[in-house]
Amino acid sequence: MTLLGALAGGFVGTLVLTTGLRLAQVLGLTRMDIPLLLGTMFTEDRAWASVIGYAFHFVNGQLFAIGYASIFYAVDESGWLFGMALGLVHAGFAGGALVNILLPAIHPRMGTRWTDAKESPLLEPPGFMLSNYGRHTALVTIVGHLAYGAIVGGFAAGL
Amino acid sequence: MRENGYAPIADYAVIGDGRTSALVARDGSIDWLCLPDADSPSVFGAILDAERGGSFSLRPTEPFETTRQYLEGTNVLETTFRTSGGAVRLIDAMTLYPPRQLAPSREVVRKVECLEGEVEIEWGVAPRFDYGRRHGRVGLRAGRVFFTERSHALALSVWGAEPKARGEIRLRRSDEVLFSLVAADRQPAILPGRTDTEHRLEHTIAFWRDWSEDKEYVGRWRDAVIRSALVLKLLVYAPSGAIAAAPTASLPELIGGPRNWDYRFAWLRDATYALDALLTLACPSEAHAFFWWLMHASRLTRPRLQVLYRINGGDRAPEQKLEHLTGYRGSAPVRVGNAAVGQLQLDVYGAVLNSTWLHATQHGDLGGETGRAVAKIADYVAMHWREPDCGIWEVRSERRHFTQSKVMCWVGLDRAIKLARDGLIPDRTARWVAEADSIRAFIEEHCWDEERNSYVRAADTRELDAALLTLALVGYDEPNGSRLRGTIDAIRRELGQGPLLFRYHGEDGVAGEDGAFLACSFWLADALARTGRRDEAADLMDELVGLANDVGLYAEEMHSTTREFLGNFPQALVHLALINAAFSIADAQRS
Repeated sequence: MTLLGALAGGFVGTLVLTTGLRLAQVLGLTRMDIPLLLGTMFTEDRAWASVIGYAFHFVNGQLFAIGYASIFYAVDESGWLFGMALGLVHAGFAGGALVNILLPAIHPRMGTRWTDAKESPLLEPPGFMLSNYGRHTALVTIVGHLAYGAIVGGFAAGL
Repeated sequence: MRENGYAPIADYAVIGDGRTSALVARDGSIDWLCLPDADSPSVFGAILDAERGGSFSLRPTEPFETTRQYLEGTNVLETTFRTSGGAVRLIDAMTLYPPRQLAPSREVVRKVECLEGEVEIEWGVAPRFDYGRRHGRVGLRAGRVFFTERSHALALSVWGAEPKARGEIRLRRSDEVLFSLVAADRQPAILPGRTDTEHRLEHTIAFWRDWSEDKEYVGRWRDAVIRSALVLKLLVYAPSGAIAAAPTASLPELIGGPRNWDYRFAWLRDATYALDALLTLACPSEAHAFFWWLMHASRLTRPRLQVLYRINGGDRAPEQKLEHLTGYRGSAPVRVGNAAVGQLQLDVYGAVLNSTWLHATQHGDLGGETGRAVAKIADYVAMHWREPDCGIWEVRSERRHFTQSKVMCWVGLDRAIKLARDGLIPDRTARWVAEADSIRAFIEEHCWDEERNSYVRAADTRELDAALLTLALVGYDEPNGSRLRGTIDAIRRELGQGPLLFRYHGEDGVAGEDGAFLACSFWLADALARTGRRDEAADLMDELVGLANDVGLYAEEMHSTTREFLGNFPQALVHLALINAAFSIADAQRS
């Protein structure tokens, strides 16, 4: 079990997660666009928002990998199955709190449940488990994070 | 007036944003809108099925009279409703995206303002996704009405009235209600605020005015030419530069008939007329973009060319019938996709080579790779011109040796020879000259009817074809040539009815009849001007300009007796032909 392995897993896992989410968008399963959601915290320019958002998401992926590694060290346990279990918790946190409550609270251009038509300009708020972006979004989010967790756990354990 | 829920085609005006367009009826109902792009499935399709198609209606609750116009120099529509109690003005626009702002990627803005008295208005937003197959779900979030279906969402914001999908409100002088319908496809919706929406509307009006202001035409049909240019700009699919033939699908060529086709594709045939019109109108960036789209889209199939491509450059357009839709006033089947994509139409080769030549005369250079590709297209023409084809009118009967196709093959080789002599493409002129001479010999021997003093529709037949008017437009013959003049007279005599022209009277493999084809009438005016009959041309042009609807738009066809618009609307080819005819007459008058 190594920190470097977890970081490498974080990089590959974020790559897989981001690509998977993008694929789900292209297939019409969801309107969730994580790079746009993150990037528009910093700029209104859509193109730059996507660039910044991708970079920001990758940094987050690495930070979460460090968090995963801390848990692995703390319980002296790793592996793809344990990583996947953490991924499930991660998905619940991301969809239930991080993007649903925390992001709208700090995002200067995102609506909340209490926003009305007087305010602008606003990104559509995501809702619980990002369900405002389509019925399949929760499933896509969970599957993506399970893959991320499995990859981080597997890499940390040296596969 | 609507008949069984359907407005006459001439009652529509078009608004758009360079990605998609909406049709707005005189009674304020948006009955056609495809999202996110012009060739996507409709969300408002009441024009093809009044019950199932979906619409966004907005009108007074009492009986009213309507006047309307585009705001000068724009694609923003102004409709004024007058009732016994007062008057309200409705402004309709699809907003354009201001740079570096987080704005909706697709948005319809409708602004209602009470001008005098008191008027009660009602609105109803009823999107039906996927050509009316799906209703989607409706809910209220963040103060907006959301309509969602899989990865699509529409969000309706209302200011000045309650945010509801259906509602009524009584307006007094100076009261305003603003509606913004935002679409999101596979992305979170951007929910606008009132101030930003007002700014976007102003930005949109300013953009259109700037764009139309410097268009180079001074003459008696300036309003018609500028309106046509604005329509063309709407039909240019901005992400690729392709020009869609029309924003609609399956509006019938005869009410109740089966000739209902999807025109939301880019036809290579239109290239010649488009390049000519865009260059003479001083739209170099649009002309340049269109030429490069042409070269890019055809890359996969070159030197063989398809008749049409998707507006995003794709090469597949499978035709299907939407059995669940009744069609415009019962005109079934409703078709989407277009089977003409698989036809052999030799005239498109001439159109592409002529466009290349037009482009090269402006830019002086093509680049090595493009030059080689163009030479291969000329080789393909030299090799295949002897084959029968489906012709410009895309007949679904047996292939024939259509005269206009042969002429365009000759035009293609003629332009290739000129390009080669200017050193812009590889020089294989010996072969091209020999084949061009053979084509001309074939046309003069097999496609000429001595008795009628006219070229004919196809080799060894006696039918006429209004497409032969294009011989004058592409320089096949000397302007004063007796054969050209004889053909123009014969077509006018035998296919004409007043200012209108039928395309042909012969077999084409499709049941039913169609109306008079408006582009042909403008080609006639153009041909008359180019052959020195400028007064006749100008008189005809006056009549034709008078046939536009109240906001200056034309459908593909017109019923020869009732003068009712038929076919897809508004049609690029008609507006292109209008622009080119106006310039030809102006040139003739100057000379």
